[in-house]
Amino acid sequence: MHAVRWRKVFRDLVSHRFRTVLVVLSIATGVFAVGVVMGGREILVREFDSEYSASVPLNADYFTMPFSDPIVRRAREYPGVEAAMGRHSTSLRYRWAGSDAPRSISVVGIKDYDDITVQMLVPEDVRSWPPRRGEVVLERAALQVGKYEIGDTLEVETSEGKTESLTIIGFAHDINAVPAQFIGSETGYVSFETLPDLGEVKAYNELLVAMSGSDLTQREASLLAEDIQRDVLEANSITVLGSYVPKPGSHFLGDIFKAVSLLLLALGLLSLLLSGFLVVNTVSALMAQQIKQVGIMKAIGGRASQITWMYLGMVAIYGVLAVLVGLPASAWAGTQFIRFAAGILNFRVASYVPPDWVTALEVGVGLVVPLLAAAVPVRLGTRTSVVKAFNDTGVSSASFGHGLVDRMLGLFRGLPRPVALSLRNTFLRKGRLTLTLTTLSLASAVVMSVFSVQASIGQTIDDLDAWWRYDAQIRYERPTNRLGVERVVSSTPGVTGVESWIGANATLDRADGTTAQGFTVYGLPYGTRFVAPELLAGRWLEADDTDAVVVNTDARKAEPSLDIGQRVTLEIGGEKRIVHVVGLIKGQLSGSLIYMDRELLGGMLSEDGVTATLIQTASSDPLQQRKALDAAEARLEEANYRVVSTRTQDELREQIADQLGILVAFLVIMAVLLAAVGVIGLTGTMTINVIESTREIGVMRAIGAQHGSIYQIFITEGLAVGFMAWAIGAAAAYPMSLGLTELLSGAIGMPLSYRFSWVGVGAWFGIIALISVAASVAPAYRASQVSVRDAIAYE
Amino acid sequence: MPQIITPDTAESALLRLTEVVKVYDGGDAPFTALKGINLDIHTGEFVGIIGKSGSGKTTLINMITGIDHPTAGEIIIDGTPVHSLGENDLARWRGRTIGVVFQFFQLLPTLTVLENIVLPMDFCRMWAPRERTERAMDLLEQVELADQANKLPAALSGGQQQRAAIARALANDPPILAADEPTGNLDSKTADAVFGLFERLVEQHKTIIMVTHDNDMANRVRRALHVSDGEIVEERVLRPRHGA
Ligand SMILES: Nc1ncnc2c1ncn2[C@@H]1O[C@H](COP(=O)(O)OP(=O)(O)OP(=O)(O)O)[C@@H](O)[C@H]1O
Ligand SMILES: [Mg+2]
Repeated sequence: MHAVRWRKVFRDLVSHRFRTVLVVLSIATGVFAVGVVMGGREILVREFDSEYSASVPLNADYFTMPFSDPIVRRAREYPGVEAAMGRHSTSLRYRWAGSDAPRSISVVGIKDYDDITVQMLVPEDVRSWPPRRGEVVLERAALQVGKYEIGDTLEVETSEGKTESLTIIGFAHDINAVPAQFIGSETGYVSFETLPDLGEVKAYNELLVAMSGSDLTQREASLLAEDIQRDVLEANSITVLGSYVPKPGSHFLGDIFKAVSLLLLALGLLSLLLSGFLVVNTVSALMAQQIKQVGIMKAIGGRASQITWMYLGMVAIYGVLAVLVGLPASAWAGTQFIRFAAGILNFRVASYVPPDWVTALEVGVGLVVPLLAAAVPVRLGTRTSVVKAFNDTGVSSASFGHGLVDRMLGLFRGLPRPVALSLRNTFLRKGRLTLTLTTLSLASAVVMSVFSVQASIGQTIDDLDAWWRYDAQIRYERPTNRLGVERVVSSTPGVTGVESWIGANATLDRADGTTAQGFTVYGLPYGTRFVAPELLAGRWLEADDTDAVVVNTDARKAEPSLDIGQRVTLEIGGEKRIVHVVGLIKGQLSGSLIYMDRELLGGMLSEDGVTATLIQTASSDPLQQRKALDAAEARLEEANYRVVSTRTQDELREQIADQLGILVAFLVIMAVLLAAVGVIGLTGTMTINVIESTREIGVMRAIGAQHGSIYQIFITEGLAVGFMAWAIGAAAAYPMSLGLTELLSGAIGMPLSYRFSWVGVGAWFGIIALISVAASVAPAYRASQVSVRDAIAYE
Repeated sequence: MPQIITPDTAESALLRLTEVVKVYDGGDAPFTALKGINLDIHTGEFVGIIGKSGSGKTTLINMITGIDHPTAGEIIIDGTPVHSLGENDLARWRGRTIGVVFQFFQLLPTLTVLENIVLPMDFCRMWAPRERTERAMDLLEQVELADQANKLPAALSGGQQQRAAIARALANDPPILAADEPTGNLDSKTADAVFGLFERLVEQHKTIIMVTHDNDMANRVRRALHVSDGEIVEERVLRPRHGA
């Protein structure tokens, strides 16, 4: 536009470059935060869901005695079955050059790689496809735990105790495979030809069934799964060793996913709020600064509406610039964020493009929010009578000397002049102080809450340590003679105590004829000293119990009928038993567990023997414990006992910490983003304060103020705001972190202990001090460069 | 010699203030800065307002320009009841009726001298956009600043800035010019030049109201109002220089 008033708008933007950059950055930060978080969340959920639903997830999984193609065909023809396939899976130990200790691998033998109809497998980086005899393709999550490379060999211990080499020929992706980092066991795909080399039969031992219907309920799935087991497997004399019916349509990481997405949503809303504050703050400061010019323009005939449009136009230009900066920046950061998330959650991303509404929201935050934020100050500014505008000094000097604040400041009479002056400045600009303080306090509260959530996760893991009174565990391939293995293990150097448990899968028969699956029953000596259960209700197992069981909170949550005093029917090892729930203990992050006396459980099972041995060692050093465990495993193998996996409790703790670590990682991203918004907000405020005080600074310089004093003034002001935000944030962090921990605990279905992080409060004190200084240095530098002449000439 | 005569009370007054009272209520107690001012000013008059610091001169001229509102009383200028106009109507009215010159020039710092002068025409949509620059240049020539047209105000001396501000005040060709100590910040020679400019404008039938501290100036205006404690205590009318 030609009009001179628009020329003024552009000229102001250009000649106040520093301010323009600052305002644009402030708004762009809001656009960025919203784009990354909301966009990230949408893309995450969209890409995960699309890959997951295209993967044909299974609805029922049966582990059986060997069977062949006709059974699979029958399963495929069964009404209600969408797809079915057989495969051979087994868990083996292997050694690999990249790791000292032997590791576990879940080997999956697939007969025809062109006929995978359930749980799609996508080759990603393979030398050839499909794997031939002697070759293995690893599920790509293995790369999260070790630097596996194509061409590496895995020395696999076969079922017969021999060693067989498998060459890695590539990596494939199965979104339904439990990622290696979560279970401490890799997944490898081999051809059927390889199975005999590994001591396995060339036949299926696992049947995967996907059912039709998109809105299948858990109950429908369970009922159909039972029918298939009876009609397809058992009717053809195929013994079912175990079965698993997951909640239809929900991925095993679904809960973690839900938690992450909830966190992101919370963060998104928070950043929306914060960027709103930031924008309001910046624009009001801008208007405050322009008030005199508004007065002049009105005095020479400018109407309020004309002046309003000028400033709204100015804000719109800021907004457009901010969107131009914020959109690409958030697209870039969003891509990095999704890559990170896709890596740890193990899914593939087809497109990094956010949905249109997110882009619209970003534009809204960049354009609409500033305009709305500007509306009030611009209106107030243009409505101010000319005489008020002329008398405006940016501070209401009339009220100084009366307020509570001033009386409070009066208490600090001993302060050096510049310090007292800067504190006075801070409090004088009350409106701006409130907004800056709100932004920074919110950011502080979130950061300190994140510290507390992390501490709570640490506490939860510490609580696990309190429950575990053993150091390591060995699991056997099949029920094994207790006295035999205990003799071998307890004579291993470094082992100081052993106890063996029986583990079995259990199904609960409800009164209404339906069943609940997915329980594990542990038989352990009632007087065990290997765990220290934290009783929440009822009592622990006792010597003369005949049908008593204790359940954990996870089991109770999964099946409310498992309440104290209830008698329920459990189906264990094919036999139905009525048991009596006598106690409730806190869950240990390992699923729905039911405990009963070992002798009692042993009596219920047809096959005699224990399935796991727990070990106490002489050392508290994880490496020594691992050594003792490896030695025990070697001795057991020597004595012909088949070990399926070993792990030290320390390794398990790491795995759990890794899983919860995902949440912490997201929380940290959240905290950093918010802190950034806070820093930019504070820098903006400080800069505007400097610009506003230009004349004052010039006068101080004229009467002899040194650089140091000027720095002192602005840095003190920055610190004052920072510390106030810290104090308010710390107070808010307690309820906020408590709520966040509850939220997470609900979302992931694990009870989390709560611990308030005083370390976090202390650390943030240090960080916010640094941030405050950093945010004030640039403005203070500008202030120190103000020459007396400029200051006096200023507008 | 100055000769005291009674003010002209003809009905044709361009500007009439009746019982104008201004009370400031900031601070501890309300302060009455104007205590019932009655004043008529006619077209073509050059009026000086003089008085001690704090006597109410700025307050009075702010009433006339509509920059501030009276607490009580009426201000009628060229038939417009200024005291009852809203901010917005005031701005439009002022833009066309009164050119305001401030003590501290108050040019917009990011616009060139020329643009500063075009701005009031732009706001009040006076003259066709193309003519505006031409007119602004004419005005600058009048104040002998044509060679400074494209500089930013900061690059001008105080006297030059004040002359630019006067050119701006004349942009919309208003019948009235109101100036609050326009020469207060200038040396006597520059002040003289500005005063000369005002005299030329009066010859062009502009009405000028000027606040001044300068006794010399006060003695040269045709009509001088002496303000003290919020009241006009004395009025002098000089015999016109170019006949009567
Ligand atoms: N905003 C205000 N609030 C309260 N009192 C005010 C305000 N503005 C002016 N006054 C008081 O009103 C009186 C007149 O002020 P005014 O500015 O009109 O004086 P002045 O004659 O222009 O003085 P100077 O020659 O110093 O410019 C003064 O005593 C002043 O203290
Ligand atoms: Mg004055």
